[in-house]
Amino acid sequence: MKSLTSFALLILVASMAFGGITSSAYAADDSAILLKIAKRAQEQINNQISNDSSDKIKKLFEKGTQQVESLEKSLQSDDDSAAKEHFLSAMKIFKEISRHLTISVSDVASQDETASVRDTAKNPSNDLQRLQSYLDNLRTIAKKHDASIDFSELDELVVKAKKQIDAHQFAQALDTIHEIKETIIDVNKELREKASKQESQRAKVYAQKYLEQLDRLIENAKNQGVSDEIIKKLESAKENLSSIDDPRQIIEEIRKIMSLKDQFELTKNDRLESRILQVEKTLSRLYQVDGVDEEDLSNAEITLQSIKQNLNDGEFETANEQLRDLAKQLAEIKNSLQ
Amino acid sequence: MYPEIVPIHRKESLREDGMLFVRTDGILETMVKAPLIIAGLMIVALTMPIQTSFGSTRMLDLTLYSDGSAHISSQLEVDPLDPDYEVSLFGSSIDNFVVVGENGFLLSSEIIDDKAMIDTFGSSSVSIDYDIHDLISKEGRVWTFTLDSPTDYSLLMPTNSIIVGMDALPSNMDLINDQTKLDLSSGLSEINYIFGSTQPPTTQPPTTIPEQPNNDINTIILAGASVAAAISGVVIMIKRKQTKSSSVIQTEVISKSQIKTDTTDTENIFNLRPDMREDDKEIIKFISANGGEALESDLRKKFLQPRTTMWRVVKRLEREGVIEISKKDLQNLVKLKKDLEEEE
Repeated sequence: MKSLTSFALLILVASMAFGGITSSAYAADDSAILLKIAKRAQEQINNQISNDSSDKIKKLFEKGTQQVESLEKSLQSDDDSAAKEHFLSAMKIFKEISRHLTISVSDVASQDETASVRDTAKNPSNDLQRLQSYLDNLRTIAKKHDASIDFSELDELVVKAKKQIDAHQFAQALDTIHEIKETIIDVNKELREKASKQESQRAKVYAQKYLEQLDRLIENAKNQGVSDEIIKKLESAKENLSSIDDPRQIIEEIRKIMSLKDQFELTKNDRLESRILQVEKTLSRLYQVDGVDEEDLSNAEITLQSIKQNLNDGEFETANEQLRDLAKQLAEIKNSLQ
Repeated sequence: MYPEIVPIHRKESLREDGMLFVRTDGILETMVKAPLIIAGLMIVALTMPIQTSFGSTRMLDLTLYSDGSAHISSQLEVDPLDPDYEVSLFGSSIDNFVVVGENGFLLSSEIIDDKAMIDTFGSSSVSIDYDIHDLISKEGRVWTFTLDSPTDYSLLMPTNSIIVGMDALPSNMDLINDQTKLDLSSGLSEINYIFGSTQPPTTQPPTTIPEQPNNDINTIILAGASVAAAISGVVIMIKRKQTKSSSVIQTEVISKSQIKTDTTDTENIFNLRPDMREDDKEIIKFISANGGEALESDLRKKFLQPRTTMWRVVKRLEREGVIEISKKDLQNLVKLKKDLEEEE
């Protein structure tokens, strides 16, 4: 018995400490990365320092170099915590040098730099990149919504802007980008109109699900001997929710119900209800996957109904256990498909 | 007098060297009930999955652009029981915001400042994408990325950028198409970087820039400076006349510790603020030439600065008492202060 107890404890402690072990494993890998970053920074700073640089900068660079050397030594002796300290110190020094160099660069260099930065800022390639990424998102969403939106005009404009940027015609490219933005506004509007119709449908399905859980809550409240006044309020809220279709009104009504639940401390089932919704989603997804044993799914369905019944009856512990088992079963089914 | 202190399991004989050994194999049974501990630990372990909080970030990826903007892509767990969900954004300068539910359907959302209210309608996870202009600032040629992240995240640095300072420890680093990708932990991180001097800091391949546009820029800058100087001269002359006519009244108002002046005259401002930065002086000159006021967005365009950098400059000038900021059509309008107090 004693050895069994010790063994169980050992497993528990080991499993709880597991996270810590993985962190340490990461730490071992960190070190080489730190050296890479620090050396790259050191090299860059070294390139920027000239004979004309101030003594202060040169001294700081020496300090930084020493820290990088210490970092390397710490890594060789597997002293990770010292390595981290040296890395942070080195990077702090290099940052300081960069700031000093920015201030102290000669007028000519400063002008060159300013010109370089200005060229970059004028170059709208980043704007175009961001818009392309946004367009890709919209395209994916349009497909999902079966929206027949024509993106060809936008694609042509993107190609045009790219060519203009390649030819350093930045002003023209900016005009084209402006045109892209204007066109996207129309596409976005069209897409959102399409999405709002489907949203209305989703809102109704969601309200229906919420009504089911509200039924369970009311039933359970009755079993628990909650006052008639509260039950009446919940029933009236349920009636209101069942009579509306508009997504905005559905949100408002559910917010009212949530506030009622908070007020009368009826939220202890909420987490279980949320988990039930998640399990239901997993189950419905599995129904659409080929190769899943239908018997497994119908058994899961039966367990789910039993969980809901237990919630109705106030058997939270049993419902919780069943829910956990069911989640495990569904995870196993999912894993078997991979 | 004192009761004898009986060590646990006294029956065990002490060793010859006299050291006190306490048997540990029976200690749990003696002091506490082991099954109780196990049961407690098991409950803790078993309830852990249930305690996974909704609203937690499952994934967070950031891409930095060389113009000081960033793209954020994140996935969040949300409570399927809730009809909507409020998410905190990493700033208020947001573009191209898109949020989709677990099935890839577009979700309605409303952004107010740095918060977005999303109509989730039972979704248990949402994916959010947006561009943001609040995370990067620039001082000289050093760019600074700052983020207080609620979760671990990945950060793709701009092409040709070189990290020259950081106060965070990355857990991983990859090189993806000449771009450094770092994996960072949650919490506040600051990363300073510059662009390599061998190539211009663009995302495009380097190409030879014709000299003509630069010459044009120089000509425009020179012409602009001349016009600004001429306008400033005219303004100074007009204001001097005004100063003369109202000097008697002004002398009465001005206290000994406060010398106020009309700030449309930039020279006066610079005299009263001798430590003002050269960059800031240029901004003051521009505002002055623009009739004493300018939109912050126009200043950004004129001086080609990222949003946060210009915001800091404007706030600095406001602190120095040189300008005042007001709202015009939801934009920041920067005005030169009519009366400038001398620094004490």
